[in-house]
Amino acid sequence: MIYLDSAATTLQKPASVRKASAYAIDHLSSPGRGGYPTAAQAEEVAFSCREAAGELFHIPPERVVFTSNATHGLNIAIKSVVRPGDTVLISGYEHNAVTRPLNAIPNVKCRIVSAPLFEPELVLCKMRMQLELGVSAVVCTHVSNVFGFILPIEEIASLCREFEVPLIVDASQSAGTLPIDCNRWGASFVAMPGHKGLYGPQGTGLLLCGASVVPQTLLEGGTGSLSKSAEMPDFLPDRLEAGTHNIPGIAGLLEGIRFVSHKKTERILKHERGLGLEAAQGLSRMIGVRVFASEYFYCQSGVLSFQVYGMDCQEVAQWIAQQGIAVRAGLHCAPLAHQTAGTLEEGTVRMSVSAFNNKKEILYFLNKMQLLLHQRRKKRSEFKNNM
Amino acid sequence: MIYYFINCRSLTYAQRAKRILERAGIAAYIVRTPQSIAGSGCSHSVKVVERRFEAAMAVLREVKFPISRVYMSAGEGQYSEVLE
Repeated sequence: MIYLDSAATTLQKPASVRKASAYAIDHLSSPGRGGYPTAAQAEEVAFSCREAAGELFHIPPERVVFTSNATHGLNIAIKSVVRPGDTVLISGYEHNAVTRPLNAIPNVKCRIVSAPLFEPELVLCKMRMQLELGVSAVVCTHVSNVFGFILPIEEIASLCREFEVPLIVDASQSAGTLPIDCNRWGASFVAMPGHKGLYGPQGTGLLLCGASVVPQTLLEGGTGSLSKSAEMPDFLPDRLEAGTHNIPGIAGLLEGIRFVSHKKTERILKHERGLGLEAAQGLSRMIGVRVFASEYFYCQSGVLSFQVYGMDCQEVAQWIAQQGIAVRAGLHCAPLAHQTAGTLEEGTVRMSVSAFNNKKEILYFLNKMQLLLHQRRKKRSEFKNNM
Repeated sequence: MIYYFINCRSLTYAQRAKRILERAGIAAYIVRTPQSIAGSGCSHSVKVVERRFEAAMAVLREVKFPISRVYMSAGEGQYSEVLE
């Protein structure tokens, strides 16, 4: 199978990730609970993972909180920053992991910065206008999971600092490919999954916590610290890490982060962009296909959406799957993004690459798309002849 | 032998302290804080030998590392708090 759904989760992982998780299952116990070797080893793995993430994302290791995925992290972040009745600014490309927690807080007014696809300057202009009107917080995705549109997060962070508004960044599609500098951004929180661009196992995620906000707890329970107290500790990471850690997941995530750090995010991005551009150019040459791509992919990551005129996106994806290629179709849990781009009714087919895809796979995918379109034209022609 | 136990607020802080000390060439061991000196419940401490204690404290103070409490022990389960 050719896997082109890395925006959902990366399927191909470095071999070290599998080995580390497997080792952890058999040899590592719970960190911070016992004083024996398997606990000490587990503690070392967990801390090394925090250190590796801290180095990659420019944040002290104790501000790296383990979560089960980006959604978990975003829920903590949003519920820490946003109060009932607040006005929150969001981009027009947010995932349900942002919009649903906001919707769950009573009387929150969401102002949507609705700029067209691949127009980062317009996003900034509209953001500034909205910030001037006054908002309580900004929640913004770094990269659209539907269209791969890279939002100008550095400049957005700068605006938030200028207006002294807390910023929450959804780095689900950017962690591992784009530079994330918590220190420079001054963001209150940056949430990311461990299982996409960081090549860790599913069930892992990281929440990077800025110094400006005391996070609210989503879960209360045992932390292995201050256990006489009936309240959760007021310091990180313990405050946000109740219960037993997913050590096999964290062990794998550590190896994934090491892989990304070794490869360098710039090289991974260049590779993914190259493949995305190849796919976009190939699809653009096909009659009957609508491609959502920026020119030369300049503000786009390795995520690409397209539609086949007159064909349901789920049927397209199903046909492609029958050719041994995995893509995703529909609304991608991001109806707002589709609403902004004008694709809410039909949805799109999305292909997304990773460091493990290659040009040969993209060419195979394009060949199959050509075949699909050829078969459709043939069917239509036969239908017309029979009438 | 006399050891010093530098109480840390959490395991992660103890791990950070250990890293800081090791980079400064001071051997440090993470231990579960003995219950009699654990104070607010379970915690972790960084254990250093007597002859490296002053240097360890100097290093941690330089980086403004948050130290909860410090205890000295000559063994046999007896601990006395070191007041600054």
